[in-house]
Amino acid sequence: MSEQRQLLSDSAARLFQANAGWDEIDALGIADLLVPEDRGGSGADWDDACAVLQAAGHAQTPLPLAEAMLARKLLAETALEAPRSLLSIAANPVGKLARDARGWKFSGVVTSVPWGRDAAHVVTTVTSEGGPHVVVLAVADASVHKRTNLADEPRDDLRFDSTPALAAPASSREAQRLLDYAALARTAQIAGALQSALERSIGYALERKQFGRAIGQFQAVQQQLALFGAETAAATCASRSAAIAASAGDASFEIAAAKLRANQAIGVATATAHQVHGAIGFTREYALRQATQRLWSWRSEYGNDRYWSERLGRAVIERGADSFWGNLTDR
Amino acid sequence: MHAFKFDPVALPADAPAFRKEIREFLARELTAVPAERRANCWAVFDADFTRKLGARGWIGMVWPKRYGGHERSALERYVLLEELLAAGAPVGAHWIADRQSGPNLLRYGSELQRQKFLPGMARGEILCCIGMSEPGAGSDLAAVRTRAEQLPDGRWRINGQKIWTSNARQSQLMIALVRTGPLDEKNRHAGLSQFLLELSTPGIRIQPIVDLVGHPGFNEVFFDDVVVGPECLLGAAGEGWRQVTSELSLERSGPERYLSSFALFIELVRLAQRVDSEALRHAVGRLTAELWTLRQMSLSVAGQLAAGEDPMLAAAIVKDLGNSFEQSLPTLVQALVGEDVRLEDDTDLARTLALLLQTSPSFSLRGGTREILRGIVARGLGLR
Repeated sequence: MSEQRQLLSDSAARLFQANAGWDEIDALGIADLLVPEDRGGSGADWDDACAVLQAAGHAQTPLPLAEAMLARKLLAETALEAPRSLLSIAANPVGKLARDARGWKFSGVVTSVPWGRDAAHVVTTVTSEGGPHVVVLAVADASVHKRTNLADEPRDDLRFDSTPALAAPASSREAQRLLDYAALARTAQIAGALQSALERSIGYALERKQFGRAIGQFQAVQQQLALFGAETAAATCASRSAAIAASAGDASFEIAAAKLRANQAIGVATATAHQVHGAIGFTREYALRQATQRLWSWRSEYGNDRYWSERLGRAVIERGADSFWGNLTDR
Repeated sequence: MHAFKFDPVALPADAPAFRKEIREFLARELTAVPAERRANCWAVFDADFTRKLGARGWIGMVWPKRYGGHERSALERYVLLEELLAAGAPVGAHWIADRQSGPNLLRYGSELQRQKFLPGMARGEILCCIGMSEPGAGSDLAAVRTRAEQLPDGRWRINGQKIWTSNARQSQLMIALVRTGPLDEKNRHAGLSQFLLELSTPGIRIQPIVDLVGHPGFNEVFFDDVVVGPECLLGAAGEGWRQVTSELSLERSGPERYLSSFALFIELVRLAQRVDSEALRHAVGRLTAELWTLRQMSLSVAGQLAAGEDPMLAAAIVKDLGNSFEQSLPTLVQALVGEDVRLEDDTDLARTLALLLQTSPSFSLRGGTREILRGIVARGLGLR
């Protein structure tokens, strides 16, 4: 990791660990990391952004940081008026964007919007007039169905009925494939949460005594934690590699692979974390659930195994067995 | 944060051109190789193919030119290895010499030893085998009982036995870990030394062991009063444990630790091209994700080795995850194929599946068992 990126991720980590609120985080420009410098942002790449998101996942920061980063990036691209308020995104809009003499209007439903109820605006992308458009919707205009994921993070459904919207055509990869980049961001958060659960589990195994010694001294426990460590390493490496690919160009293959691999790691990781912790890990009070409940939810969010394995499997099969290795090494 | 080190690595700018050169060579040399010969291909012995690679300068390619090497970079060598493995090239004859015996000689060997053996290894003419396991020393390698005693004239007399030695009958050289000092139960790693033994030396007897698919790849190697000169000691007497540990890092870190079942994965993709099935598509997707991740991890280890580091921990992780991946493939494919595919069929898919079902359990044994590797990882996590 470059020294600059390490500094950025370390200072973000300190902020997240101190439970900084949205205003404090936003004041430091973290939500503007992906915004180009000439638009008032940091001009950072996805590798930088994912380093920060990994730290947020590690701290289980209860804020739509990934979503705000993407929203600000899309707004900057289209030069739409960027409200300096809490923003979220809708990665899977179902609806229609049309315009009349008075401007753009959106009718439809956006589901599972992180912190939809708290955001002033939701940014999404919709194809209209033959191309992708970035759309800004005011939450005040929506009927909001409040829902939360397993970790009590808001995932709200918003319904818009011929609601006036800001919209502008956009051509970036993020605008064309918003879901992919949301998945990339979530994968970085997963890597961070896996590391946090691993550290907590190791700490507990070294502390908890049974049969007169720390349970971490038993080989049976060590072997499980070693696999947990290996799975965490795999998810982290996959996430980082996809972030680097996204910084360089088309990363649809890498993002699919990374989200799938991170999802796979969640199975071993959460099972082992709870097995090592025993009953205490199942209490509302104990902090392990902050990581594991997020991980269980995040495995579904922005594409579950079925979604990504269908997309990746189909792409590989269409290119054919004899092209597989060449395609893999070309990337 | 307990972040294991897996920094991504960028391959050299000329890697694509080198890949093209390798692929053109392999397209010429590997015609009509059945898929099951491409599986686990680094255990497939083909002395002719090895000599052809040697003639291309593709054995010992990172070694100094004065020892017959070609002074290419470690990452170029990685590109070569993964291309050979992905194509299923029969590289078993020289794999040990290129991967560990040669590098071991470069690190610890005398000038005489290097000059005598390295050029022949690089030509693909001197083949090597590993002298580690014994009947009573598998995972507990420090329990080796083969002994070398120094005679008054400075020569060494060796008695004992090695076992599970792949390719011993076809090899010229073995690097053997033996006990030269008394066993100290408090410091079992002391008193061990490595010897560079020519297998034609009188007193060495080699006997094949047939494996469960009927292949005589393993051997027992017996040493009965084998007397060798002082020049056969490799490195320093008593330093054998340190030397063998660094040899094991080389043994565990390469792309062969996740690509042994790659030929079966390719057959699975081929099947999915013929048969429109959601289950097949999803399996291909999931396996692709694992394969891509393992390659990124393996590349990272290669980058650390190229930078002169000893990524023992990262290598153990890649081998553990890689072996599990290689081993999951045959079971998964067996569960996914239709009733029209039978294990006894004479097709690429069936023969590869049948072979790997039976041989893949060994993948998490050779080069360090899964349990030993996880012990290393647990130590890295601060648990031991």
